[in-house]
Amino acid sequence: MALSESLARLRYKYIPDHLIGEILSKRWADNLVPLLFLLLTVAGLGSFIPNFFTIQSLSDASRQLGEFSIVVIGLTIVMLGGGIDLSVGAIFGLTAFAAVSVVYIFAMPIWLAFLAAVGVGALAGAFNGFLIGYLRLRAFLTTLVTFIILRAIFDILVVDHAAEIQLSDVSSPTWDFIGDGTILNLPVSFVAAIVVAIIAHIFLTRLRPGWHILAVGGSRRSAYNAGIAVRRTIFMSYVISGVCCGIAGFLIAARLSGVGPGTGAGLEIMALTAAVVGGNSLGGGRGSIAKGLMGAVVVLVLTNGLIRLGFNSGANQMVLGVVLALAVILDVRWLKNRHKMLAKVYVAPIYAKMDASRSAAPDSGSPYALNDRLANTEFIGLGELEGPEDVILDNDDHLYCGTRHGDVVRYFAPDYKRHEVFAHTGGFPLGLAFDRDGALKVCVGAMGLYSITPDKEVSRLSAETNRSRLSVIDDARLRDPNDCDIAPDGRIFFTDSTTRYDAHDWALDSIEARPTGRILCYDPRTGKTRTVLDRLTYANGVCMAHDGQSFFFAESWACRVSRYWFDGPKAGTVEIVIKDMPGYPDNINRASDGRYWMAWLGMRTPSFDIALRKPGMRRRMTRRLPQDDWLFPNINQGGVVKFDENGEISDVLGNLGGLSHPMVTSMREHKGYLYVGGILNNRIGRYKLDGADPAWTSNRSYWGAKS
Amino acid sequence: MAKWKTLAAAAGVLILGAVPALGREDPGPAAYKQALDGKTVILVPMAMGEDLAQGWAHYIGTAVKEAGGKFEVRDPNWNTEAGAQAITDAIGSKPAAIVVQTPDLQSYSKLYKRAQQAGIFVIQVDNPSNYASDAFVGSNWETLGELETKAVIAGCGPNSSKKIGLIQGDQVNASSLDQYKGVQNVLKDHPDFQIVAAPDSNWDATTARNVAATLIQQHPDVCGIVDFWDQTAQGTAAAIRAAGKTGKIFLATTGGGEAADCKLLESGTIDALVATDVPNQSRDVSTLIKFLLQSGLKPGDAKTWLYTPEKITTKADLKPGTCWSIEENKAAEAAAAK
Amino acid sequence: MPSGGSLTQDPCMNIRSHIRQETVVLLLAVAIFIASSIFLNGFIEASNIVTLVRGVALLGILAIGMGIVVIGRGIDLSVVSILAISVACMLQLLNMSYSLPSALAITLAGVIVMGGINGFLVAYAEVPAIFATLASGTFVYGIGRSQWLSGDVVYMPDNQTGFMAMGELKFLGIPAEIYFFLGIAFLAFLALRFTRPGRFIYFMGDNFAAARNMGIPVRPVIVLQYIVSALIAFVAGVIMAASLHSMNTRIVNSTLLYDIILVVVIGGIGLSGGKGGIRNVIVGTLLIGILLNAMTILDIPDLYQKLIKASFLLVALIADGFINPRDEQTDQAGDI
Repeated sequence: MALSESLARLRYKYIPDHLIGEILSKRWADNLVPLLFLLLTVAGLGSFIPNFFTIQSLSDASRQLGEFSIVVIGLTIVMLGGGIDLSVGAIFGLTAFAAVSVVYIFAMPIWLAFLAAVGVGALAGAFNGFLIGYLRLRAFLTTLVTFIILRAIFDILVVDHAAEIQLSDVSSPTWDFIGDGTILNLPVSFVAAIVVAIIAHIFLTRLRPGWHILAVGGSRRSAYNAGIAVRRTIFMSYVISGVCCGIAGFLIAARLSGVGPGTGAGLEIMALTAAVVGGNSLGGGRGSIAKGLMGAVVVLVLTNGLIRLGFNSGANQMVLGVVLALAVILDVRWLKNRHKMLAKVYVAPIYAKMDASRSAAPDSGSPYALNDRLANTEFIGLGELEGPEDVILDNDDHLYCGTRHGDVVRYFAPDYKRHEVFAHTGGFPLGLAFDRDGALKVCVGAMGLYSITPDKEVSRLSAETNRSRLSVIDDARLRDPNDCDIAPDGRIFFTDSTTRYDAHDWALDSIEARPTGRILCYDPRTGKTRTVLDRLTYANGVCMAHDGQSFFFAESWACRVSRYWFDGPKAGTVEIVIKDMPGYPDNINRASDGRYWMAWLGMRTPSFDIALRKPGMRRRMTRRLPQDDWLFPNINQGGVVKFDENGEISDVLGNLGGLSHPMVTSMREHKGYLYVGGILNNRIGRYKLDGADPAWTSNRSYWGAKS
Repeated sequence: MAKWKTLAAAAGVLILGAVPALGREDPGPAAYKQALDGKTVILVPMAMGEDLAQGWAHYIGTAVKEAGGKFEVRDPNWNTEAGAQAITDAIGSKPAAIVVQTPDLQSYSKLYKRAQQAGIFVIQVDNPSNYASDAFVGSNWETLGELETKAVIAGCGPNSSKKIGLIQGDQVNASSLDQYKGVQNVLKDHPDFQIVAAPDSNWDATTARNVAATLIQQHPDVCGIVDFWDQTAQGTAAAIRAAGKTGKIFLATTGGGEAADCKLLESGTIDALVATDVPNQSRDVSTLIKFLLQSGLKPGDAKTWLYTPEKITTKADLKPGTCWSIEENKAAEAAAAK
Repeated sequence: MPSGGSLTQDPCMNIRSHIRQETVVLLLAVAIFIASSIFLNGFIEASNIVTLVRGVALLGILAIGMGIVVIGRGIDLSVVSILAISVACMLQLLNMSYSLPSALAITLAGVIVMGGINGFLVAYAEVPAIFATLASGTFVYGIGRSQWLSGDVVYMPDNQTGFMAMGELKFLGIPAEIYFFLGIAFLAFLALRFTRPGRFIYFMGDNFAAARNMGIPVRPVIVLQYIVSALIAFVAGVIMAASLHSMNTRIVNSTLLYDIILVVVIGGIGLSGGKGGIRNVIVGTLLIGILLNAMTILDIPDLYQKLIKASFLLVALIADGFINPRDEQTDQAGDI
């Protein structure tokens, strides 16, 4: 191996390129931009300002941050619902006045002040919500007007009652504690903000009304058509914002022990800036509490930091303006280009060297030598079927297969002319297997493992497995369940071909050649699924060996078949049975003579083999060329191979030119015939096997004569 | 009582400091040097854009620096919350004293208490608050209102229509409310003068112009207008100009006494100015700081009020030096920096 | 903003409904006018009417600029900042003994750049107009105030007598400001009605995606829109300074911006764009003018004036909501 190739191998083995794409594909990656802003701001200002990171300074800062973030949380929720609330500053002031007047004028208990503040906030929010939600006025204008109205009311109240508040001699330790006290060294308002943030986060991400707000913000019309009470949801979002302002107003009232004409002035612009700098999009649907909080920190740190550095009036606004513009531009660009960028960087090929295989050329004399026997099949469902990946027959000889449309279709014996939709799964049904009771187990692409009883009842068996600790993408989810088979005790072993791509993007996985496939085991006794084997190169077909203690499995892009023992003395071991085949293996099934059938979905080509040794070239290819020009594995020519437990090839069926069955993804022997399916084919082939046991069926082989 | 004592003490200290030491170990220079040496004074005005704030920053800053102290300014730019945070931060950095222009009666009271508890002297300037900190230095807004009204009454003269108008600031800030009280006080002694209208300018010159225009249009015989701030007086003056009543309507206002105010007087834009004596007011502040730091008093021990003497200035009184100048101060600072 | 498809309502209904709102506002204005004439002494006098119009002329000029942007389905929150900072800088330059033409040229260039930046952010960076102009407005104020100006207020130098005299200029007893207002209104009317970009602005406001698809150079037109808005703000600022002989940048903190938007909206230019015209701005301006003048004559304190004004607007908004109800099926995402 040349040095450069060794280097390439090491480089692509140890540098985890794929993580970039995986991180970008996470929803929380949206937070990266605001987080970057946050870190830059804090680090930048922190290094300039002496004593910035002292406990005292942080504690002082967090006290104000507490109140501010609560307001931002409320505004964030409104914005997520597709609205905007410019009246937060006015509501904030009004609620602070309510709290102060309860404490100082009426000399009532503190909890009543809290209720008064929250109540006034809720009422003001409800006013906004009624106008915008029920009367469907425009949020921007309406809250602008309510801002002016509420602010005027606040100013009038302050003028009329300031004297009474000042002259009051009420003092309350609770009140002072809320204003100045700490809990676990954290200011009360900061703790309150954390509590509010957690509640709001749970509300938005885990509770139905929160989801409704996101749905309305995401698409008002769809939400309406889906039956969500759009008006009530919008109303609620403003009430929540009002309540948040109420809590914050109560806290500032306690901190400053009073209110003045300046209380809450300009807060709406600051809060709006914070929400946007955090990355919450105007118009709703996209954003989170965490983003709002990050924005709040950035804005406050900037504002206070610049004042502390002794900058002129206006320096603040100058920097804030730039930050706001940059944040929004970044956010807009991010949103617009994320998918493009993701598409570019997600495919991260690795180095893979395929060893030389024996030829499959028709006259090569090798055991793999292809022939044209599959050209002589009868066609079932020609032109009616789309994508019968797997085929299976029941005890009454009816034929089942999946289709691209998400159906499991049943063709009726004996002539297989009539058919019906046996069941609808919604995903793409791939691998099929009958269990002891005649229920059909189906691997549904992008969905999971399903069971269909003979009464056509569909139920989900498994949609997730255990999450591995270090995986960035959620590998608990089943992305590409491909084939399944059932052990004598009822456990279902099935493959999940890749954790990085959805089922329809299998070709991208072939270009990447990264071993992320898995074999999972569903145990009907516990109902749990766990991962048995992982790091497989596109785990595909799986088939119980005749011993009932092991199964064969195929790894397509490695052109390899291995055997795994799950029971018996060799339990837990894997042995390679066939390697370096000239074709890409797909499903494996039992044959009547104690051997096994294996489908080849395509044939290896020297060009793609070389390409696998050039990961850099493959990456450039995916980034620079349109998909039509990519180098893919050859899938225009497949076949069926019969092998025994020692890996000896005893038979090959091919279709030269691929007019009948270009791509073969499955085959099933049944009463002397071989039924051939292909995921891109529009037919099922029925091939008469010479000398095969005319009574043998797969079901009998698995479950005995009685079934 | 305490107040008088401290004032007496302050006077004492000042006098002692002034008496030359004759052949004995004079502790004065050392004590004076120690008072501010290496200590910090922080000024938190409502906004540095104001002429007043720039005046304080210059005069107090110069005095503090001359005495060996450090002087810092935090600029909340009219934002009360930012101001509160600036004070909180200032408390964290433990200066010897903070000088604050309170935006309203209530908002910062609690912070003053906290600052004092942290061992920091709190001196409030210009606007009163309901918390008596170590000292208040500023104008008595009621007096300002009285002086303005007196100027207008004098300007109108006994043979005029005796109708005057007010252009108030707003109905929220103490500075506006107290001036109004001052106006009423004077009018009690002059029952023949009457206020025909008292609209608010909301501290905005354009609004002032519009309301003044309406006022003049509705009451063409008005003989004088009391405006509550030199900034809004620009608008009021524009309305008077537009009505062709320059010289016929006597306009009095208050201001920071910066050079621009003198120009307004000179050009006849305004007829009388009740100016805040910023240099002397600043001197009061810096003297108080020096006193407090030498006195051995702890923050909160003493409470002092110093009202800056104000007087009416008219065009006739103008002479070089009547107004102080930001430009000159800047030049002086630049020269000092060299 | 400029993204996504949109459903247009039946154009006939559109026209009918906007006439209705305008009519409501006009009737309201007339009603208040008549009531004030009867109950308020000196209201109906010619000189008061002039005072009344003059009082809102500046607001009206600014509302024309805002109206043009809003018709194109944008919004410009930076006008007050541009107004204050550009004129303050110009005065500062004059104070530094620049000649009036050179100061004017420098500031004008700056204003065009700022408008261009607004337009660029909205059109090319595709930032929602609210945020783009909020950011640029904040920035303009910030950089002007902190880097170029030493105080909140900049006075006009004494030698600019011609400039100062412009503030008192009268023609047939009517102050120049009113002519400026009417002149700018007429120009804007011509531009919107008879020029290509003017018609494009309507198309873009009505259905942005369709306008782009039919080949209208949407991006340059957006940039033009914001440059015009900035220029109008500058003109308003110059008029303001000519009258007040100074510029106070604190005006940025006032509610002037909100008043401008409210004038535009109350006159019947919907924030969703494509509707209304200069006539609506004039109607809105007059209503506000009559209201303010009457309240000032009544000596109502500013706080209560705000309350009354805002309540009027709320009533107008609610009435609009009933006349032109929004529907979940036709609402556009991001249209707030």
